Parts: sequence; structure tokens; C-alpha cells
Amino acid sequence: MNASVFARSALRAAATSRTAVPVSVRGLASVATSQTAPATPETKKPLMKKFQVYRWNPDEPEKKPYMQEYELDLNQTGPMFLDALIRMKNEVDPTLTFRRSCREGICGSCAMNIEGTNTLACLCRIDRDTSKVAKIYPLPHTYVVKDLVPDLTQFYKQYKSIKPYLQRKDAPTPMKENLQSIADRKKLDGMYECILCACCSTSCPSYWWNSSEYLGPAVLMQSYRWIADSRDQFTEERKAALDNEMSLYRCHTIMNCARTCPKGLNPGLAIAKIKKELAFGSS
Amino acid sequence: MSMLRTGLRAAPKARVFSTTATRAILPAGPQVIDGTVNDAAKIPETNPTHGSYHWSFERLISVALVPLTVAPFAAGSLHPITDAVLGATLVMHSHIGFQNCIVDYIPHRKYPKSLKAAKWALNGATAVVLYGLYEFETNDVGITEACKRIWKA
Amino acid sequence: MVRLSGIQRDVLSLYRSCLRMVRQKPVESQNNFKSYIREQFRAHLGVNKKDFATVEHLLRTGQRKLEMYSQPGIKNISR
Repeated sequence: MNASVFARSALRAAATSRTAVPVSVRGLASVATSQTAPATPETKKPLMKKFQVYRWNPDEPEKKPYMQEYELDLNQTGPMFLDALIRMKNEVDPTLTFRRSCREGICGSCAMNIEGTNTLACLCRIDRDTSKVAKIYPLPHTYVVKDLVPDLTQFYKQYKSIKPYLQRKDAPTPMKENLQSIADRKKLDGMYECILCACCSTSCPSYWWNSSEYLGPAVLMQSYRWIADSRDQFTEERKAALDNEMSLYRCHTIMNCARTCPKGLNPGLAIAKIKKELAFGSS
Repeated sequence: MSMLRTGLRAAPKARVFSTTATRAILPAGPQVIDGTVNDAAKIPETNPTHGSYHWSFERLISVALVPLTVAPFAAGSLHPITDAVLGATLVMHSHIGFQNCIVDYIPHRKYPKSLKAAKWALNGATAVVLYGLYEFETNDVGITEACKRIWKA
Repeated sequence: MVRLSGIQRDVLSLYRSCLRMVRQKPVESQNNFKSYIREQFRAHLGVNKKDFATVEHLLRTGQRKLEMYSQPGIKNISR
């Protein structure tokens, strides 16, 4: 776990340096560009990397899940795991199934377990060390729909249960927004960025054991996002909904959520703040 | 396109593994979804005794244990009341800890009877330990003195 | 009468609620629904009754389908 965290922080550093010099790496971003760009492909030796991908087909439910191995030339593939997956699907095996949409870390569709860490495939760089086999699994402790597609029904139902929208007791004044001071707005930073990819919830052992009752880090952080919102007038009701044995207090500050979050957020901190507010009243 | 193909090879080798262990200890069980997919999950009743009050009490006891553990050794005097308070706090602390383990690992939805049995077993064990400590304090040397003797032995 | 295991009873109750759903449908399409349900259950008759993971998956998808088909907007089913 530690090693992978280091690797990921190194990847982040690499990603930031990439923004500084965008021209040199951009050519590798997609297969299409490597096809048209005449500059490099002929001279580079193929760099073959093995990938093992979790496969399970619901049409043959009696067949057990297995790991299928694919081999790709990294010099002709984009830098991220999602690029590799798309290439496998397009050119090797069209039956491979996974969710993807924005390919830039803003939709949260491609959340999966890569090299033992829950992350977004589109934000996870492929390790160019070809001696190691890269392993890709669906999110842990989820019911699998097919291959890398997890069933997130319970997660969304729980998200719905915290009423993730602005609730006011007074009637809205026509033609006027609910204003907020800059300081109040600042409280929402680090929470509104959450894209609900479920990486944190599915990395939380407490959520593994009690997902039917415990809300999990992602949903709790969104709950606190509305508790902390100065415009919301149902703060007390929201807190009362969490004040029971299971919903909130199954969090034992394991902090896997903060470690794994592909957006670099800290759901553990938000949960600690809810606990603090419930214990000492609003701060 | 052919140039691209050369870089690709789907290895036919596929390693089979089993997700259903031959002897599963506590299998995950079926997915239970209350209501339709579009209903919100049920919100449990507000219960601060098991929620926020419980949490505050738990933290209070943890914090209180620090001075209680240090005090008798720092002060050097052995007062039976500090000893008794230390013993009681220790038992409460471990009781809450075990209670958390039970609630975590024996899901109410799947094993309601086991959960109840485990909770009562814990209550019984705590009562026995409390009685044992009472005997130890009144008829024997007490916790602090015992620790001191073991340390020096 | 054989004593059924919990999961077998789950399968039967799913089958019953499927048949109950049929009664809410228009009379002329009820036979189509019924034969579809039969076919869906018969397709997996060979599943080992100890293969819990598979049976649970089938139950899960079955529930999902039942929920979808029981919507009042769905009047008929054909293959």
C-alpha cells in the first residue's frame, strides 16, 4: 500500500510537470495521433507490457471469474490505464466491458482497482516497467455486473437518502439568489469537488462489512458538504439523520478513503468534522 | 492499421481463480436492496444514546485513562479510590471496544440472534470482570500495586 | 414434501411475484408475459443448487427485471 501511494504521488508530480511542458508528451495521448504523427513510432522499439484484467460474463453465470491476459506495446498506447483498456477493447477483445466517459478524471465512471489501489483508470499512469504484470480488477466488495462494471445501486440509494440538494425553510425571494460570503464558500472547498466515483467507499473496510447501513466516506462527505453550507437551513435535521449507531459512527478513522481518493480529497476529515459538530454543537 | 496490430497480441492464457471459496467462513450473501432502485436508502431513527452521546462518552473515557494511568505512579501514593476508578474505567473502555467489534462484524441484518447473543455474552463478561476487580481491590493488593510488584519481580 | 433451503424459497418467491405481476397486465398479453417468465426460469434449470454465487446473481438480475417489467407503462412483451 505504501509503495503504491508513493508511486501515485510521484505520478501526480509527473502529471504536474507535464502541464509545464505539454508539447513533448502530447503526441502519445491517443492512438489516433500516434498513427498520424510521423515523428517517433518507426524508431522506437516496441515496449511490450502485460495486463491482467478481471473477466466475468453474466450471460454464463456458472463460469467462474478469471484473469485474462493482454499484451500491449506501450510506445503505441496512451500513458494512462484507460488508454490501454480502450485499446484492448477496440483492437483485441471487443467483449471487454468497462465504464468510461470523460477520460480526464471529471466523471468518475472509470473507477476500478488498479495494482491494488482504487483509482480512476483515466488518471492512473501505466508503469513502464515491463517486468511487472499490471492487474486490473473491479472496485472491491461490490457486486459485479460484468467484467469491470460494479453495481453501485446501494451507493446511489444512500446518496439519495442524505438529500443532496439545498433545503430552505423560508420561501425563496423571487429574482434573487441565496448569497454566501467568501468565507462561507471557502468551507465547501475540498468537498464540492467530489465526483462520486465510489473509490473511497469501496476502499473502506467498515463499508465492506456494513454497506447496508453505514453510509461510507463519499456519502458522508457529501452530507457534510450540505451541513457546512451556510445557505442550507436543514442543518439540524441533517445531523439528526446521522445521529445513530450505524450511519456515521461505523467510521473508525481507518483513512483508506483519503489515501485512495483520485481527486486528492479527504473524506476522513469531513467525517471527523461531522462527529465534532454532533458532539460539541455547531462550530 | 497493420503497424498497430503488430504491437498487440491477446494472450490466450487465462488463469482461472475462484471467488466462491470452498469453505467460506462468512460468505457475503445476496445483495439486499430495500425498495426499488430509485428509492432512497432508509434513514435510521435518531438515537443519540447509541450515536453522538456514545461517541463522546467513549472519547471521554479514553482521554480520562491517560491521567488515571499515570497518576498513581507519579504521586507515589496508593489510594484505593484512584485504583478503583482506574479499574472501572479500564473495564468500560474495553467493553466499548469489544462492543464496536461486535457491531462491526456481526451484521444485524444477517445474524440478528448471534448479535444479541454476542452482546449479552459481552455484558456478562464485563460484569464478571467488574466483580473480579472488586474482589481484587478489597481482598488483595489492587491493580497499581500488582503492576508494581510484577515490574519489580 | 422436501424441505427447501432458504435460497430455493427465494427463487420460488421470485417466481410467484413474477406470476403475480402478470395479473396486472392487459389480458391479451398475459400469455406472452407468462411464457417469457417460464422461458427465463427454464433457461437456468441446470444450475447447481449449491452454486450460491450464481443463483444469487440470477436472483439479483431477476429482481431487477421484474421491477422493470412491472412498470404500468409496459403493456406487452414479445420475442
